[in-house]
Amino acid sequence: MNNTAPAKALILAGYGLNCEEETLHAFEHVGLQGEIRHLNDLIENPKELQDAQVLAIPGGFSYGDDTGSGNAFAQKMKLALWDHLQKFVARDTLTIGICNGCQILSNLGLVPGFEGKYGVRSIAVTHNLSARYQCRWIDLKVQAPSPWLNGIDRMHIPVAHGEGRFMMDEETLEKLQNNRQIAATYIAPDGTAADGEFPYNPNGAYGDIAGITDDTGRVLAIMPHPERGMFTWQRDDYMELKDKAQREGQTLEEDSDGMAIFSNAAKYFK
Amino acid sequence: MTHRIEILAHDEDGRAKALEHALKGKGKNVEVRVADVYTSDNEKAASPEFVISLTNPVSQKANAKLEDFDWALEIGFLPGVTDNIGHTASELLQLAGASNDNECYSSRLYLLKGELTKQDIEELSEQISNKLIQRISIKSKQEFDADGGMDVVVPRVLLDNLGAKADEVDLNVTDSELEVISQKGIANADGTHRGPLGMSLLYMQAVQEHFKKEGRNPTDLELETIAQTWSEHCKHTIFASPIDDVAEGLYKGYIKRATKEIRAKKGENDICVSVFSDNAGAIIFDENYLITDKVETHNSPSALDPFGGAITGIVGVNRDCIGFGQGAKPIINRYGFCLADPSTSPEYYRDKALTNPILPPATIMRGVVEGVEAGGNQSGIPTPQGFVNFDPRFVGKPLVFVGTIGLIPRQIKGKDSHVKCANPGDVIVVAGGRVGRDGIHGATFSSVALDEGSPATAVQIGDPITQKKMSDAIIKEMRDSGLYSAITDNGAGGLSSSVGEMAEGSGGFHVELEKVPLKYPGMAPWEIWISESQERMTMAVPPENVKRVIKHLASRGVEATAIGTYTDTGRAHITWDSETIMDMSMDFLHDGNPETPLTTTFTRGGDKEPELAEPENYNETLLQMMSRLNICSKEFISTQYDHNVQGTACLGPLQGKGRVYAETSITRPVFSSPKGVVLSQGLFPRYSDIDTGAMAAAGVDLAVRNAIAAGADLNQLALLDNFCWCSSDEAERLGQLKRAVEAIYEIAVKYETPFISGKDSMFNDFKGFDKDGNEVKISAPPTLLASSIGVIPHVEKAISLTPKAVGDCVFLLGETKDELGASEYYDQLDILGQNVPETNAHENLRLYKLYGRASRDQLIASAYALNFGGLGAALAKKAIASQMGMDIDLSALNLRADKALFSESTGRILVTVAPQNKEKFLKNFKGYEHIYEIGFIAKTEKLNVKNTLDIEVSKLDEAYKATLKDY
Repeated sequence: MNNTAPAKALILAGYGLNCEEETLHAFEHVGLQGEIRHLNDLIENPKELQDAQVLAIPGGFSYGDDTGSGNAFAQKMKLALWDHLQKFVARDTLTIGICNGCQILSNLGLVPGFEGKYGVRSIAVTHNLSARYQCRWIDLKVQAPSPWLNGIDRMHIPVAHGEGRFMMDEETLEKLQNNRQIAATYIAPDGTAADGEFPYNPNGAYGDIAGITDDTGRVLAIMPHPERGMFTWQRDDYMELKDKAQREGQTLEEDSDGMAIFSNAAKYFK
Repeated sequence: MTHRIEILAHDEDGRAKALEHALKGKGKNVEVRVADVYTSDNEKAASPEFVISLTNPVSQKANAKLEDFDWALEIGFLPGVTDNIGHTASELLQLAGASNDNECYSSRLYLLKGELTKQDIEELSEQISNKLIQRISIKSKQEFDADGGMDVVVPRVLLDNLGAKADEVDLNVTDSELEVISQKGIANADGTHRGPLGMSLLYMQAVQEHFKKEGRNPTDLELETIAQTWSEHCKHTIFASPIDDVAEGLYKGYIKRATKEIRAKKGENDICVSVFSDNAGAIIFDENYLITDKVETHNSPSALDPFGGAITGIVGVNRDCIGFGQGAKPIINRYGFCLADPSTSPEYYRDKALTNPILPPATIMRGVVEGVEAGGNQSGIPTPQGFVNFDPRFVGKPLVFVGTIGLIPRQIKGKDSHVKCANPGDVIVVAGGRVGRDGIHGATFSSVALDEGSPATAVQIGDPITQKKMSDAIIKEMRDSGLYSAITDNGAGGLSSSVGEMAEGSGGFHVELEKVPLKYPGMAPWEIWISESQERMTMAVPPENVKRVIKHLASRGVEATAIGTYTDTGRAHITWDSETIMDMSMDFLHDGNPETPLTTTFTRGGDKEPELAEPENYNETLLQMMSRLNICSKEFISTQYDHNVQGTACLGPLQGKGRVYAETSITRPVFSSPKGVVLSQGLFPRYSDIDTGAMAAAGVDLAVRNAIAAGADLNQLALLDNFCWCSSDEAERLGQLKRAVEAIYEIAVKYETPFISGKDSMFNDFKGFDKDGNEVKISAPPTLLASSIGVIPHVEKAISLTPKAVGDCVFLLGETKDELGASEYYDQLDILGQNVPETNAHENLRLYKLYGRASRDQLIASAYALNFGGLGAALAKKAIASQMGMDIDLSALNLRADKALFSESTGRILVTVAPQNKEKFLKNFKGYEHIYEIGFIAKTEKLNVKNTLDIEVSKLDEAYKATLKDY
């Protein structure tokens, strides 16, 4: 990598994606150069992917989740950008899909991409077992080696989705486990496995899975939102933390758990 | 040929499981499977590409043989109802090679297996659908097999009035005939009527007079336009009319005057930037940004179709934000529901034949909650702020409040961003969704059931994604290039209102109505002009920018069309294929409505103040109070509303480990600024039973007090007023209104918190029949919702309601009086009483100023502004939030324990203070007499009030959360 210019992150937007601004802020905060790109502009000029090191598909509600969350957006990407996407992930780049982005990556088959074979849909991210949107803070245990997750053990960040339930057949689940492609799982606050129990596992995902990677670890599809838990003031327990810090004469860290994911991207290209 | 594609979900589908669970709750063991169905007669619909694009191979099967079920239940939309899933499928069909005008319709098929009768299925279908907008088809397995599956239905709108023109309406008629035209609508050739215009005879006569002078009759379009423009909904005639000796009317005489006086008094420290003149009000956020706020109601539509009413409400008020100034970015949503008890099912009917029942309260609650969820979540706008209030009288007409806060740079391209004006010569460009018959005469619902084939016009469903695409393209991409001179939204009255209002800037307009893109052919010109089809913005675009604007929107998947020009001719001019169908003076259209002076009477309500025996078991009493609908947790709403999208949530709707449903939220909308937006509200509908003045003052006080308690700066706090009244044609109701308005004038001026925006809904009455066919009228209690919007200088100084540490001191600030009239405690005992809480703004202000200093100095660990259920509920909520015990002694209040615990006196804040801050805290309040140190946070698991109650926090927690836990 060129050491002088910061790596460039493209953050997709359009058709109901809605977390592009805060995701951009996360990348800029850790020193990457970031740009929001409408899907149609990228389709118009797909060569832009050649100059980017990071592709982020942020959260949102593309096409209103109609015909299945992330499905229609993925269909459009596949039709118009597939070759470019394959070339992009084949290079030494990083790709992240958060929430709706995670659903899109799964529908595109950029995860799990067993044996480097992209394009196969073998994971469904579908309706929560509660059949209801869930916006709540959860705890995660990192399970897989991935440039995105280096040095992270646990994370306290929120989920916000109606369709976040990872499902797959047994064979696929076994492969994910054996290949260490399960990025993170939901846990109870005491650190034990959520074991499907609501609300620790907020959607009934098989194996408590909150995110998966491709087999290189460079493509991460994750349902929880690191960018909504990147600063301490965003946390659900911020009021308690700041009160405690004040009583003890301490200063709170500005960054919180979610920022580590973005910092890892910056470190990867240093 | 029509193609029907059935995509069957796997057995473990979350939607199926949830339905199974609900049926199990009713004692029925049923296996459910769900299939998503797509119907289209486009030839490409049978192509494998299309079918594959609709099917997730892991969790779904396309066109599988459907077997192993006892009943099939299909729910689809009626013709003309917004079908968002169908729209997306249609886009996928386009990707598969179909043309962009292909039609695709969605429906959902449930396959049920278990011991069920046809009646069970019919009952189920009624619970999960709405016959106003949806069709239901039920088949037993035998019927299903015999017919070879479900029927193929294409819900296309077919209108038979192709080639429609504008009709002349003969106004040379008697007064009684004028009244018929107003009440039933303009007559069609076949003798039917087009639906009410809703104008008084006085107004009809003014129109008659005007056209007599013009020497001609109006066209149907002209008459419909006048009716829209002069409607209560648009003109707010009750607030504008002279009332008793107040010649200026209530709005100018009190509400606007309050703001004017406050702004003058604050001088250089005035926070207001745009008040009452635009789609939203705006105050200063910091040196770079303004924040805007607007709260709307959507009551009538929500009574009929709760989901549709609420979603249209929330995406509609989002457009008020997008349509503020040059366009503000929606950053926070508010909601508020006034409902009847969902565990009851009162039997009332809209018609005398008792065939058209009102919706059960639980159905309305589920529907309105879901409507705001779908609209807010899909739009990517956090919804952390809201409330639910319950009263049996909201049964026929629920109140549904929706609001949106916006953020906009103070300057755009060197100009003030809140200023907009359409210039003569600017092109009228309409962007967003197409026009259908949606919401024509939306305000005046007919109770006639809609039959198959007729478009469902009265009820609308929002399409948040179409709006999101438009909003992003305008606010995030186009706005800062200054491509348009003005922008506004299409709400009530549709184009007639948006174009009409913007043309007041330029001084006239010319619209070529045939250019407006339609959802389906065959609409009459007047329908196009007043249709309330959603998701549209109207812009004034200088001619040289028109191409660029339309092209940019197209690149974002948004249709935009030039439909005419703003002029300075003073005329409202419309042509239809070059023929003039409207040509009226702008002056008459906007100011031609005659004044209607109002007179009022006022009688204070309430009963005698009762003499009650003291409760024998206060533990039980407090548990009962905590489980009351107006006090208990509404967590199920907060967790399904995305309240942290945009990454800006700082203090959310659920506070503390114990997740108490809070009244105040704090949002940090600009990452580079430490400032926060503080939002809250207050309303006390039941207080109106005694005194609407007390009701209104208490609402404003609570809205202010909640915000101050959380750390908002009193000097940077503004208010919004939403009046939801009833029977506003009665002198007594108008008297109650006047009293409420006087009260909020006084309190706002005292607090120096200006009103920046407001709205009213004056006829919240249900008129119908009880189960014996007797006529009934159920009026919603006169209600003022006061909403507050303020700024906290640094979110680090935010104060949550949750106590933080054992050993902290508990203080009650403010005076507790014997004020239990219309309280939750009295209502629990079925008593109204007389001593309704009176608000002493002068006293309260003293406290709020002192409190403000203490919060700036960070001396307060937690704070809660007392409201429903008084001190008792406040103590319990603090204990639940922190999951810590408290030792409390209330003897210093000098009141009997039940009065001390449950009086709802306004102006009070319950705080906890760290021991090391206690001395400074006391010094801060030196000389203030109503400060009571009442105990401390204890290392126990109980809330103890000396000589009164001693109860486990876990029991309080359970009572607080049990009431609504199954929703």
